[in-house]
Amino acid sequence: MSTKRSIADKVLWQRLRHWNRSSKDLDRIDFLKTVPFFNSLTPWQLNHVCGILFERSYETNELIFEQMQPGAALFLIVDGKVAVEVYNEKYTTSLAELESGSFFGEMALLDESPRSASARAVEPTRTLALYRNDLNRLSHTDPETACHIYRVLAQIVGDRLRATNEMITSGEIHLEKLTG
Amino acid sequence: MKKGPDLVKKEQERKKRRQVFTSTFLLLTLIVSSLLIWKLRSLLLPILVGALLGYLFRPLKDRFRVSWLPHELRVLVLFAIVGFSLFLAGHSIRQQMPDERQKLELQVRLKYKLNEKFQQVLGPEGETSQWLGPLKAMIAREAGPAMNQLNGWLNLSKSETELFLKYREGYLGQEPIQDRYFDYFQANQTTAAYIEKPEQRSPSALVPSDTATFSESPEKSATKTSALKEELSVWILAPLIFIFLGFDNGQMRRYFIGLVPNRYFELSLMVVDMLDEAIGRYLRGTILECGLVGLTLAAGMILLGIPVSVAILIGLISGMVNAIPFLGTVFGLIIGLGYALIAEGVVPLIPGLDPNNLALYVIILVGLAHLLDNMVYQPFVLGNAVNLHPLVVIIAIIGGSLLMGILGMLLAIPTVVVVKTAVETLFKELKAYRII
Repeated sequence: MSTKRSIADKVLWQRLRHWNRSSKDLDRIDFLKTVPFFNSLTPWQLNHVCGILFERSYETNELIFEQMQPGAALFLIVDGKVAVEVYNEKYTTSLAELESGSFFGEMALLDESPRSASARAVEPTRTLALYRNDLNRLSHTDPETACHIYRVLAQIVGDRLRATNEMITSGEIHLEKLTG
Repeated sequence: MKKGPDLVKKEQERKKRRQVFTSTFLLLTLIVSSLLIWKLRSLLLPILVGALLGYLFRPLKDRFRVSWLPHELRVLVLFAIVGFSLFLAGHSIRQQMPDERQKLELQVRLKYKLNEKFQQVLGPEGETSQWLGPLKAMIAREAGPAMNQLNGWLNLSKSETELFLKYREGYLGQEPIQDRYFDYFQANQTTAAYIEKPEQRSPSALVPSDTATFSESPEKSATKTSALKEELSVWILAPLIFIFLGFDNGQMRRYFIGLVPNRYFELSLMVVDMLDEAIGRYLRGTILECGLVGLTLAAGMILLGIPVSVAILIGLISGMVNAIPFLGTVFGLIIGLGYALIAEGVVPLIPGLDPNNLALYVIILVGLAHLLDNMVYQPFVLGNAVNLHPLVVIIAIIGGSLLMGILGMLLAIPTVVVVKTAVETLFKELKAYRII
């Protein structure tokens, strides 16, 4: 089935789609190929994903989302820089500064739980947003593509969990050493 | 890098300018759009109907998945399938519709049966019972003028009478009209006027004439034709909008969400989605509910012995009208009773039913269908999709009818549902996003 589709894709529609797409769409597809979430998708699948992304532009210091707000979308940085920060009553801690090709807010693809950190554009930034419910719908219209995205998301969450476990373990060892 | 005081001042001035520009632009847009909407209000309804059809078509499009077929081709194939199905449905409905001869027969039968039943209600003259006498006199006094009016409408015009007599002899190679209907026709000629209230007396009501009710001046007819043409040209918009919405692959949604300020981006995504889900649930639920009501009525009528084709037609019409709360039941009752009055030789499938009481059974059936609708179909199919107070429903329907007639009544409840859901969702999400 998959082979048949890929032949049909190559012979029949690839040219047509190429002709039908604007250069903006082609830029997006080229960009998506560089993002871990989508880098192993076929051009056909990338075209599907492209159709559900929202482009947003932010000015310097503009908030992309705020900590504690319900999350709705994953953001991919096309160009610019984004700071991921955690606010406290007294101070703000910068967790990371992300650049073009990076993504953030991926937990919003799983549920509507509040954002654990804020994201702020450090310089004029262009992003692509993938909305949770659009991904859910994609799982009905193109299950293969959606499954791939969810698999990558699961890997990322798994890696983070392992990293957190390691941090906790090393912290406990460090604490034991300190307390004797 | 720190910003100098000049740069900060310039930025603040720019922000002020932007605010003034945005508010002026918004105000102007609001004024111009209001003016345009008022001036082009005749286009609103076709646009709404087209959009509604497009909305109903969308789940079908989403379900029709052929992964290797491009979206445009997929939509074209679906349009062809839907168009063909509609054509077939229309063709079979048209076949069930009475032709010229059957229409004349129906008109004659309806007039005869109506008068027969009315006279049965009034009973023989010189009623002596203490209670029934005055009651029947009151019925004759109150319903008499309405019956006269009905008789006036059901009278065959001169040309129709000639045509009926031709069909009686066997016109256009068709079998002659049955003796029974010819007897009805003759009896109808001698139907006398019932008692009329003096102020409602209209001697022309019972006079069969081509000129009294059916003809109009050529100027009036030309105005009517041009108005009809104008109306039709406006309604071309509905299928166009339906087609464009059918081909839309989320571009419109992306465009409108693109206009939303960044601060409200995620909020707008959530609100639009919730609204979409609520409206979709309501529309699909209503269609399913209408279908179930129509099916109940059709099945009931078949059990009462009404021919299958007529029962399906009555079920179809009543089901469609059921989209207007309350009015659907009334329509079902009128159509069902209308047929029950003229029905002849009916053999109920349920043993023990008296065919002479068909009208009573139809009233019971419509009542049962209404009860089933309220107690089973609506709670199970629609759930909480329409949690509207009955008073709101009545006011909305009356308001809709005043604004746009029957279509206004049809669109009133969906509009109220949309506004209610939009306001509720917006407030909930604005709070969740800590904007208010």
